[in-house]
Amino acid sequence: MTTIIVVLGIVVYIVLFKTYGKRLEQNVVKADNNNQTPSARMYDGVDYVPAKAPVLFGHHFASIAGAAPIIGPVLAMAWGWVPALLWVWFGNIFIGAVHDYLALMASVRYDGKSVQFVASDLITKRTGTLFYWLVFFLLILVIAAFGAVLGGMFVRTPEIPSAYLMKIIAALILGVLIYRVKMNFTLATIIGILMLALAIWGGSVLPIKLSKNAWYIIMFFYIIIASAIPVNVLLQPRDYLNSWLLYFGLFIGALAAIFSFHGFSAPAFTSFSPILSGGKPTPYFPAIVLIIACGSLSGFHSLVASGTTSKQLEKESDGLTIGYGAMLTEGFLSTLVIVSVAGFGLQLMVSKGMNITTANWATNYTGSMMKSLPKAAMFTASYAQMVAATWLNFIPTKIVQIIAGMWVASFAMTTLDTTNRLGRYTFAEIMLPMKEKHESAYNFFTNRWIASIVPAFIGIYLAWSGNFTILWPSFGTANQLIASIALLTGASWIAKRQGSKSRFALIPAYLLWITVTAAIIWFTAVVLPGTIKANPVTGITVLIIEIVMLIMSFVFIIDFIKHKDDALA
Amino acid sequence: MKTVFFTGKGGVGKSTLSATLAWQLAEKGFRVLAVSIDPAHNLGDIYGKKLSFKKKKFSEHLYLQEINLEKAADEYVKANMNLMREIYGYLQSFNMDKYFSILKYSPGIEEYAALTALEKILTSERENFDYIVFDTPPTGLTLHIFALPGITLSWLERLIKIRQEILKKRYTIHNIRGKYEAKGVPLVYDEKDDNVIKKLYELQERYSLVLSLLQGKNNAVSVVFNPDYLSLKESQRLLTGLSDLGLPVQGAFNNKMTEKSGEIAEMVEETLKKDHSSLTIQRVPYRADSMQEGYKLPCDITLPFL
Amino acid sequence: MSLQIFKTIKDFISGMDYVHREKAASITLWEEKELENIFTILLMGSFSGIPAPPAFIAAELFPLLTSELKIFNERAENSFDTLAEMTGILSID
Repeated sequence: MTTIIVVLGIVVYIVLFKTYGKRLEQNVVKADNNNQTPSARMYDGVDYVPAKAPVLFGHHFASIAGAAPIIGPVLAMAWGWVPALLWVWFGNIFIGAVHDYLALMASVRYDGKSVQFVASDLITKRTGTLFYWLVFFLLILVIAAFGAVLGGMFVRTPEIPSAYLMKIIAALILGVLIYRVKMNFTLATIIGILMLALAIWGGSVLPIKLSKNAWYIIMFFYIIIASAIPVNVLLQPRDYLNSWLLYFGLFIGALAAIFSFHGFSAPAFTSFSPILSGGKPTPYFPAIVLIIACGSLSGFHSLVASGTTSKQLEKESDGLTIGYGAMLTEGFLSTLVIVSVAGFGLQLMVSKGMNITTANWATNYTGSMMKSLPKAAMFTASYAQMVAATWLNFIPTKIVQIIAGMWVASFAMTTLDTTNRLGRYTFAEIMLPMKEKHESAYNFFTNRWIASIVPAFIGIYLAWSGNFTILWPSFGTANQLIASIALLTGASWIAKRQGSKSRFALIPAYLLWITVTAAIIWFTAVVLPGTIKANPVTGITVLIIEIVMLIMSFVFIIDFIKHKDDALA
Repeated sequence: MKTVFFTGKGGVGKSTLSATLAWQLAEKGFRVLAVSIDPAHNLGDIYGKKLSFKKKKFSEHLYLQEINLEKAADEYVKANMNLMREIYGYLQSFNMDKYFSILKYSPGIEEYAALTALEKILTSERENFDYIVFDTPPTGLTLHIFALPGITLSWLERLIKIRQEILKKRYTIHNIRGKYEAKGVPLVYDEKDDNVIKKLYELQERYSLVLSLLQGKNNAVSVVFNPDYLSLKESQRLLTGLSDLGLPVQGAFNNKMTEKSGEIAEMVEETLKKDHSSLTIQRVPYRADSMQEGYKLPCDITLPFL
Repeated sequence: MSLQIFKTIKDFISGMDYVHREKAASITLWEEKELENIFTILLMGSFSGIPAPPAFIAAELFPLLTSELKIFNERAENSFDTLAEMTGILSID
């Protein structure tokens, strides 16, 4: 079954890429290599060097792939593996990848300007400003959600924090080798990978056992410090190692899934509304968009695609492979997660003494998973089992588990401090209107350290006190709201600039907006009251963010409809 | 080569003292160049010659030269305007290039022109003369000119640091990219190939030389004053300014002394010595018949380092 | 046939090599570009209202700065549109 689904997944992706994707390219975007791309226009041989398609694909994929496409599907397994897989595949092909591709191509045609700029140009200036707010909320909620994932994982598998710590040391050394000593790059890479392997082994030998709260405190300081030091000391070499870990993990995972020939023990379908978010029955529609974000659709991707990727695209025909294809690859990663959990999750939970069967899956999955193998741990354990079930079983299961754990932990940790860097900047932008009237307050809040501590503190505090099944969907709301704005922007670009059939983008965009808005309303009205009662600070913080976002969502759609038929300036 | 700058308030007699010192040194057989940077250009009047930027022979060992600040500034601006015109040549087709003439009014142009001329003289005449005596413009402008090399150097230092950082980063990029480096325009990462940093180093070398000549043992800046209150105040400012800039003050001249100025002269000298104890002050009496051959003052002008 | 497979593997490895080299250089590239921009901004100080070096330094360097001026221009044009770029460079997701 594992093999069938993975192979089927590959076939579905390839076929739809060749048919639906190609149609998008030819009829909607009308990609034409006679149009100069921004990278060609600004070519100077130094900075603006157009990147070859495989390179840009690798770059773009590494930028959009993180820990989120792994965690979302684990939670979505509450509905059973068929609904989860359906959203990953079809959400991805008809919405998520379209969204990424349109954001990329609109930006390419706009001289490399971002989707934020395109939105302000085509809809209203106000829409551009919304991005700052949404991204700021998103960053806080990312810190909260990923912080909670890491906290749980570090306590459960004490080998991972220790391996990660050693990896930081490896990254610091690698940073010196590459950026200071300027050692031969291949040699430095080999040393880096050896050090990474050593860190993984070292982690298995020397686990660090600390309480969850201790980890939160460490994470808080880590965020502040790591986001303050120069990028080539830690961030850049670490991201470089991460990228190896990502491709290695994906490669092994794909091999294992193809060769494991294992049946699924998880139920195909449980209930339309299993217990999931905040202990409440969670309806598949609209809540699924909040649970699986990155694996099928994520608003962040529109920013990455239009922020950096569009400036390096060599020719327009590469756009489909990069914008659309990279997103499908990310969907494939989520498919791997679903396959491994569907194949091995049940046995793992039972072996930990959980009361779970295919019959009571709808009511007991979330609770059992959070109790025995919370979030990412479910994936790392299933992944290790899946690898062990193949001819790759010569690698000790414990080591595979640490590798998978490091994979998730590295991406989550990276996100924490890069998020904080970006948080400082968005925070300053949001505070800008304050400058005129309250200059001293403005100066206080935009002080580098204050602006750094505020998002980190709110995020970690939420992780500390909050309930993960609340934090994760709220992260989803911010992300999907950006996605729906970006997709509507893409639709409006097609309608206004392209003069081609905008229904390819408009229908999914409206559907997405309706789904996301309904999800926010459901989440605010049904899930949050219980949380506010149980945990007032978290509940109210999340409530405020949700209500602001809900208002923004309506402000946006009104602006959009008002300006939909405006003639172009 | 030794250099002497006579500084002081307008009208205190800088030109007369410069002319006299230059004449006396030349009479002793030294090769001397007297240069006027003072826009009032009294030096030429004292020697009774019309001077220009081309040096003129006055006696066997004495040569005279004049830097016309206005003209130097004009020339500098013209050179820059031509550069702008070259870069934005198309503007000429609409006669819009004339708008660049606004450059003439940029602040600091005069000082820069003076410094450039000064630098040219100091570097090109080093071997030809034993002494170069400068007659300078009034206090404010002189201090600006003297301050310029230091300011320029500290800016150059900052710019060089950034440029080095840029080249270092480029080298890292080159090293990482290896064989995948973009073809076409090569990424310049070596200091030897980067024209910008070479230019910066060249400027740095030029101004360091000027600064070291100005601050060195072979330079003397002399302050000229008159026995009166205003002159005292200005000299105090001048002395502070000069020592802030690290310039070697050597000797002060209490010029235009008469019999009546005894008491006030004492007071002025004492006040100056209070702040600058090592200052040697020489009195130069007032000469009523200075209309003729004003460079032949009856007393010897001496400076400690001569 | 076996030659074809060998070539494919070789291409794949060199592709991975290239991808990883670009990845390792990406932020440094961005920093280098920003530094060139700062260098130009400093020279053009009087233009942006910050303390400027003596005008003649800029005048002396002006003809040598074609690529820097290009970057300066591009940055000036895009300075308000950096949220997405930062997201991409920091690869947040």
